[in-house]
Amino acid sequence: MNATSTAHPRNPSAREVVVTGIGLALPGVATYRDLLGPLPAEGGFDPATGLIGRELRHKDRASRLALRAAEFALHDAGLTDADTTFTGAAEATAVVVSTNLGNADSVCEATDTIAAAGVMGLSPLGLPQTSSNVIAGWVAIRYRLRGPNLTVCNGVTSGLDALAWARNLIVTGRADAAVVVGVEPANDVVTKVLGRQSTDAAVAVVLEPADAAASRGARPRATITGYARARNLAAALASTGVTEEGPVGLWLADEAEAAGAGAGHLLAATRRIDLESQLGPLSGALGVLQCAAAAAHLESGATGNVLATAGGPHHDATAALLLTPSPATRPSTQERGQHP
Amino acid sequence: MTWDITGMAAVANIGATPGEIFAALCAGQESRTPLRAFDPDKYRAAYAYEIDDRPEGGGDIPQRATRWLTTVIRQAAGDAGLGEDLAQVPVLVGTTMREQRSLELWWRHDAEVALEDLHFGTALKAAFGASTTYTLANACSATLYALGMATDMIELGMADTVVVAGTDAATESGFGTLDRVQNDIPDALRPFDTTHKGMLMGEGAAAVVVQRAGTGNGPVHARVRGVSMNCDAHHATAPDADGITRAVLDAYRRAGVRARDIDLVMLHGSGTPRNDATESSVLRRIFQSAGPGPRMTAIKAMTGHTLGGSGLLSLVMAVLAMKEGTVPPVLGLADPIPEAAGLGLVQGSPASDDLAIAQIDAFGFGGINAVAIVEGAR
Repeated sequence: MNATSTAHPRNPSAREVVVTGIGLALPGVATYRDLLGPLPAEGGFDPATGLIGRELRHKDRASRLALRAAEFALHDAGLTDADTTFTGAAEATAVVVSTNLGNADSVCEATDTIAAAGVMGLSPLGLPQTSSNVIAGWVAIRYRLRGPNLTVCNGVTSGLDALAWARNLIVTGRADAAVVVGVEPANDVVTKVLGRQSTDAAVAVVLEPADAAASRGARPRATITGYARARNLAAALASTGVTEEGPVGLWLADEAEAAGAGAGHLLAATRRIDLESQLGPLSGALGVLQCAAAAAHLESGATGNVLATAGGPHHDATAALLLTPSPATRPSTQERGQHP
Repeated sequence: MTWDITGMAAVANIGATPGEIFAALCAGQESRTPLRAFDPDKYRAAYAYEIDDRPEGGGDIPQRATRWLTTVIRQAAGDAGLGEDLAQVPVLVGTTMREQRSLELWWRHDAEVALEDLHFGTALKAAFGASTTYTLANACSATLYALGMATDMIELGMADTVVVAGTDAATESGFGTLDRVQNDIPDALRPFDTTHKGMLMGEGAAAVVVQRAGTGNGPVHARVRGVSMNCDAHHATAPDADGITRAVLDAYRRAGVRARDIDLVMLHGSGTPRNDATESSVLRRIFQSAGPGPRMTAIKAMTGHTLGGSGLLSLVMAVLAMKEGTVPPVLGLADPIPEAAGLGLVQGSPASDDLAIAQIDAFGFGGINAVAIVEGAR
């Protein structure tokens, strides 16, 4: 994960980690396959009707969005039954959440209440969301997921960072599977922080070792092959191993940041998609949504790997995540002996 | 596999270095102070364990948590002989509140705070040129989670050296909501004593440098034997005996130790009746057939609950306890709760003992638990 060594698994004993489920709670995007087309599209998640229900009561907005996305992703992965009970190895399933402003509304509103009415004006039910890890806690509780439970609040790179940490947890054997959620809520506080209209966005992906996914008959959509968080784009790409893994068919990037990094020449021929320019600010949800878009590209039969980048000259770092075809969709000519 | 701790630093209400904090814990003088961070008229709780570095004349300022963080990282890196260029060194920061205090000051008082300042990477880039940085908001087990993740990075070959740190400044939203939910407002944090009423916040930061065994330049303070991390998946804020038991036993398995090998337990000891009863009951079962059992102490009685950094602060104190052969007492512990009967809680004055292996507990909201096993360097 640093500039001189990388998460890139050339080690034959490393477990290949694949995406086996994707769920979106995102207005204007009905399925993750729509992420490759013009956005926003018709349909998609409707917060007015989608964020109500018994199990969502007394929870902050980001947690409710995350619970919906996780529900859809676990269903998509075939890891829940008809009663939406988790059917996988709950004691060894990790939850990794990426968010930057998930509880900003709860924090700021509490200070308003204290100023107006003192602490006795606060609701005791608001205690969990004073802590930024509230979302990951609720997702774990909902499905009894008792593996490592991690909340990454790392700026614009958070989503990509969260995916990399989830992969680490699996590769080290701390978890047999991971639910990775990127989420940001729309509200007045977030709009004021961002200086532009905030948007509801939640996306969840399920990660599993390729061999475990194969043995339970799950359909792998993409392999997470390399990652780095480095001082600039060039350093991140070098550590990610992007050139060694073959041509990139899709680059998911912030156009302005990529241009600012002087990166136009790096991947000039590659198709590019800038999700935030189409959907509005995604912050902690961005990287996980990029992973979903990558899966759509790799499943579509289009050629080439997918590179997702976030951050850049206006941020503290640049993160890059390389996604490659999963064993199921990988052309046989691309099979490499070092993969288990 | 073990990992070397080659640098340490900490700041809390009772000291600006690990040595100062340890000496204060051993001296055992009352350390709580009247609440200064916020308008006391708005709160029922009247005391906290704040770091006294706000400007004269009252009022709070943003970025205090960030300032403590960069200070302890600079000191820990210096202790390990790394210098101030961390461009090639991953930095993992565990925190409960991040810079949410700055967010509050921006929202209520128009303090200047940028979105990019909410996570600590921005300051770490500016101070140390660090880019492989992570802000991990894992509540009050955050720094032991981060320690475990650092050992994973080294094990996976991603790095030979990782800085692990934690920091938290008290927030109005956190302090206020905690005040709201406590039925009987504590006037001090009194872990495991029958008079315990609940938790009071402290402020502080801690940092350690973790290196692949034998690769550091300087002396080794201690060795990390193993770190567990899990989630109760049971309750949003209350602890769960099953989850904590699994975390302790998994830490032993990773470290290759048995309960009888543990000489010292740094308790989570947050002073809430729920935590203290649950943690005591779990440890009684774990140590019931393990001979005389380890010494135990709980530093939050003097530092307050320093939130995300509290686990790492306990770990740094454990390392000093092993070096000195001394365990600080639990301030104010006179009459242990029945669940703690038979546990080796140190009361009154410091206890001298030969200490080789320490267990450090850290439990957080969301039911997230992490337990570290650390061996003194001999």
